[in-house]
Amino acid sequence: MSTLDDPRELHAAPATKPPRTSVAGWPGLLGRGLRRLVLLTLMGLVLAGIVHILAVLLIPVLAERDAASAYAALGDGGHAELVTPPAAGLPALAEPDPNSVSAVCGYDLGTGPVRVSAQTGALPLGLTLHRHGGGVAYAITDRAAIRGVLEFVVMTQEQLDERLAQDEEGETSRELRVVSPSPQGLIVARVMLRHTVDRGEAEALATSVACTSAD
Amino acid sequence: MRVVELAYVIALGAGLGLASAHYAVAERPVVGRAQIGAWTTWPKSGARDTDPYMRAYLARGVHLPLGAGEGLLLIAERDDAGQPLDGRCRYTVTGLTPPARGWSLAVADPARRPLQLAVARESFSDAELVRDERGGLKIIAAATPEAGNWLPLPPSGRFQFRLRLYDTPISSHAGELRPEALPRISRVDCR
Repeated sequence: MSTLDDPRELHAAPATKPPRTSVAGWPGLLGRGLRRLVLLTLMGLVLAGIVHILAVLLIPVLAERDAASAYAALGDGGHAELVTPPAAGLPALAEPDPNSVSAVCGYDLGTGPVRVSAQTGALPLGLTLHRHGGGVAYAITDRAAIRGVLEFVVMTQEQLDERLAQDEEGETSRELRVVSPSPQGLIVARVMLRHTVDRGEAEALATSVACTSAD
Repeated sequence: MRVVELAYVIALGAGLGLASAHYAVAERPVVGRAQIGAWTTWPKSGARDTDPYMRAYLARGVHLPLGAGEGLLLIAERDDAGQPLDGRCRYTVTGLTPPARGWSLAVADPARRPLQLAVARESFSDAELVRDERGGLKIIAAATPEAGNWLPLPPSGRFQFRLRLYDTPISSHAGELRPEALPRISRVDCR
């Protein structure tokens, strides 16, 4: 009898057990699923943090609409060109000061260092170096001018090292050297207008800034 | 890991990461900001060691910010009482400006749209002001003409004041300025 009972019990066991496990397993399954979802969400958040940091760091590197890219071709003739307002076809400057005029020279140090020289006038003049990908690398005002001339040479770190190595007699040691963090960038001459009638004088001052090869 | 789970993690990471990066640099970033009374400035925005958020913001448009030794830009979107600046109201800008070789105070649209002004004057320079006998600064900003130093405002909607200080010694430590050192913006009345 016991041998007959056993198979019956065995037969009965699967029939009675599943409801018991499903009743007890639903919260367990739900809890496991929830834990899994929380874990996956946390992984997603960590990935979002990494993506966020990478995106913020890559925006300047991949920038194609920044000022240095937009105005790279200006100043080819050796003199800064006005961007307030810019020449036809070029994008307008974001948030310009109505009380200043700006002229720019695009530079590419691949062909050698660039010499920037400006005559000072009665209006406040500032010269800044804007690197590719946004940001100011160097700024100087006409207060630093010597005998009415503001002059400096823009170069890469390698060009500076080379210049120092070749300059045994100290011939060029009196020039002001500025290392550009990027091979391409902009030299910006900004003149503040004290009165509206100063515009012509300010534009002449800003566009008289020369950017020529230093060699 | 199942494909659905992997897709969920990648979608969440890429979506949230890119969206938050876009949001963080769409306008001038919160990082590096200094609030002085009603005025906001980013002292490092023109420095060589500016933060990555400011660099990303500058790289996304045709910006030529003032260099750290060249000048400083301060922006006000609210008056001294904390109310947003509105073209339907009249404001006075009084008080002091920090030492600088020259400065300009301009009205601008927060979304960079062209302003609809009654006359073509968007800004005042320090030399253009008519001062009182004590040499004090008083500018009246309103949409309709006012006596004195009138700075026209758009007839309605939000606007900003932008104060640019040229060749100022404070640009490197602008975050330490006290509110009394900057012009006060007071609301007179509203239409």
